[in-house]
Amino acid sequence: MKIRVERDGLADAVAWVARSLPSRPPVPVLGGVLLDTGSESTSEHDDGDQTLTVSGFDYEVSAQVGVPATVVTPGRALVSGRLLADITKSLPNQPVDITIDGARATITCGNSRFSLPTMPAEDYPQLPSMPELAGAVAGDVFSEAVAQVAVAAGKDDTLPMLTGTRVEIEGDRITLVATDRFRLAVREFAWEPTSEASSGTAVLVPARTLAEAAKTLGGSGSRVELSLASGDGLLGLAGNGRRTTSRLLDAEFPKYRQLLPSEHTASAVLGVAPLVDAIKRVSLVAERGAQVRLEFTESSLRLSAGGDDEGSAEEELPLDFQGEPLTIAFNPGYLLDGLSAVRTERAHLSFTASSRPALIKPVGEEGQVLPGYLYLLMPVRLPG
Amino acid sequence: MRLVIAQCQVDYVGRLTAHLPKATRLLLIKADGSVSVHSDDRAYKPLNWMSPPCWLIEDPDVWTVQNKAGEKLVITISEVLHDSKHELGPEPGLVKDGVEAHLQELLAEHVTTLGEGWSLVRREYPTAIGPVDLLCRDDAGATVAVEIKRRGEIDGVEQLTRYLDLLNRDPLLAPVRGVFAAQIIRPQARVLAEDRGIRCVTLDYDALRGIEPDEFRLF
Repeated sequence: MKIRVERDGLADAVAWVARSLPSRPPVPVLGGVLLDTGSESTSEHDDGDQTLTVSGFDYEVSAQVGVPATVVTPGRALVSGRLLADITKSLPNQPVDITIDGARATITCGNSRFSLPTMPAEDYPQLPSMPELAGAVAGDVFSEAVAQVAVAAGKDDTLPMLTGTRVEIEGDRITLVATDRFRLAVREFAWEPTSEASSGTAVLVPARTLAEAAKTLGGSGSRVELSLASGDGLLGLAGNGRRTTSRLLDAEFPKYRQLLPSEHTASAVLGVAPLVDAIKRVSLVAERGAQVRLEFTESSLRLSAGGDDEGSAEEELPLDFQGEPLTIAFNPGYLLDGLSAVRTERAHLSFTASSRPALIKPVGEEGQVLPGYLYLLMPVRLPG
Repeated sequence: MRLVIAQCQVDYVGRLTAHLPKATRLLLIKADGSVSVHSDDRAYKPLNWMSPPCWLIEDPDVWTVQNKAGEKLVITISEVLHDSKHELGPEPGLVKDGVEAHLQELLAEHVTTLGEGWSLVRREYPTAIGPVDLLCRDDAGATVAVEIKRRGEIDGVEQLTRYLDLLNRDPLLAPVRGVFAAQIIRPQARVLAEDRGIRCVTLDYDALRGIEPDEFRLF
C-alpha cells in the first residue's frame, strides 16, 4: 500500500476515529485504526480522486471516515490509533505519504519520517454495517438538541438506564430525554423521516457516545442521517463524511412523562446571563455541592449561599414574577447546567412548592415561552 | 473484666519512671491479667498500663502490678468509688468484611436487581475449590454464578473465572455464565471480566438496604 494524503484531512480523520478507541483494549488490534483504500479496481483509473477510509471499532462504538487520497498502490493496514493520532497531529502542513511495507508502516511528511509496526489487519473485526436509514435532520439542530439533553444524563454505573439518552421517534418528531433522578431534560424537534418503519420506536443510546458523535457530526450546514436497527440494538449516525454506530442500552427508561408538573403556582422570567453570573458569584462561598437559595418576591429575586460558619453571600436581581412568593434551594451546578442548556437570552422558571420540582424553559425575543425544550430540576432541602 | 473507679496516684517504676498525681480514674483489670489506668478522655488509650504476663498484688491502699522484668506499676488508692466484676465470655472477633457478607445476603434477597425474572438457587453454592457467593437462574432458566465484592479488583475476576471453569464441567449446570457484582469496579477488572464474557454489575449498598437518601429526587 502506498498513498498520499493532505495532512489536515488525515489528522482530523485519525483524531476523530481514535477518540472512540478504548483506552484499555482487551485485544491489541482493537487499539488500532484501520487504513483502507478499498478494492483493487479503484486503482486502475488513476484520476487522483480516491478515498482512504479510516475506521475504528471496539464492539460498542464504530467510527469511519473517508479522506481524499491519491492511491498509488491500494491496500489495508492496521496501526496503533493513539500513536497515529499523535503523529498526524504534529506533522508539518505538507502532503503525507504513507507506505506499508510488510510489517512496517512508513509515514513521510516534509523532512520527518516515522516508521511504525503494523498489526495483522485480517484479525480486525468486521465493522457493523450501517442499519437502514430512518431519516435526516440538520446537523446544527441535532447537535444542539443532543447537547441540551446530555447535561441531565447520569454518570453513575449503578443505574445503567440513567446513563443513556432516550430517543423517541414519532412521525416527523424526535424527542430526546435524559435524567439522573435529580434533573430531567426533554427536547423535541422536527426531522425528515425517510421511512415510516421507525415511527413509534424508542431506543436508549449511551449518552456520552451520542453527545460525542453529535458534536463532531453536526457541523453547521451539514445534515445528520439517523439509521436504526432496534432489533439488532444498533444506532447509526452519518454526517460530514463521517459514519458512526453505537450499541443501544438494553434497559428500561423510567416513565418520565408523569413527572412533568401540569401546573404551577409561581413563575418568573429572568435574563439567563445575569442569573448565571449571580449564581456563580454567590456559590463561591458554598462548599462543593452545597445549596444556593433563591428567594422570589413580587419585585426581586434574592440569591444567597453559605452560612455563618463558612461565610455567606447574597445578591439581588430584578425580575418579572407572577404568583405566590417562595424560597427554594438548588444544587448550583445542576441549576447552571439547566440555565446554560436553554440557549436563549431569557428563561422562564416555574414552581409549585419549595419541595417540588421546578421547570426551566426557554423564552423567545417577544417574551413568549418557547416550546420544544424543558429542564425539570429537583430542589434540595432548605435548612431547618 | 473488673472495673474499679478510684481516687489514686500511679507510679511506674521500670525502664523509665512516670508519675500520675492523685485523681479519680478508671482501673481496668482484664482476664488476661493486664491492668490499665484510664482517664475520662483519650478514647481507648490508657494513661498507663502493664501488658500481660503480669500479676497484681493487692495490699490495702496499695496495688502493685509487676511483670517478669521486674517493672512495677504502683497504684496508691485513697478511695474506691466503684468496684464491679463482669464475665464477658469468649469474644467472637471483629468482622471486617461485614459489608461484603451483608451485600451477599441483600443481593440474595433481591436477585431481581441482576435481572427481571431471575431466581436464587442458593447462597454459598459449594464447589471443589470453595463456595460461589450466589448461584442463580436467569429468566430463561440458565445458570449464573455471581461473585460479590465490595471493591471489584482483578483477583475477584480471576476467582470467578476459576469457579466458572469448575461449574461448567457439571453437565447439570453447564452452560454457566458469570456476573461480577461490586460496589466499585476497577476499570482493569471490568475490561478483564467483559473480555471473558462476565457481566459487571455495580451495586448500590444503600438502595439494596432500602435506605432512601435524605435528598429530594424526581423518582
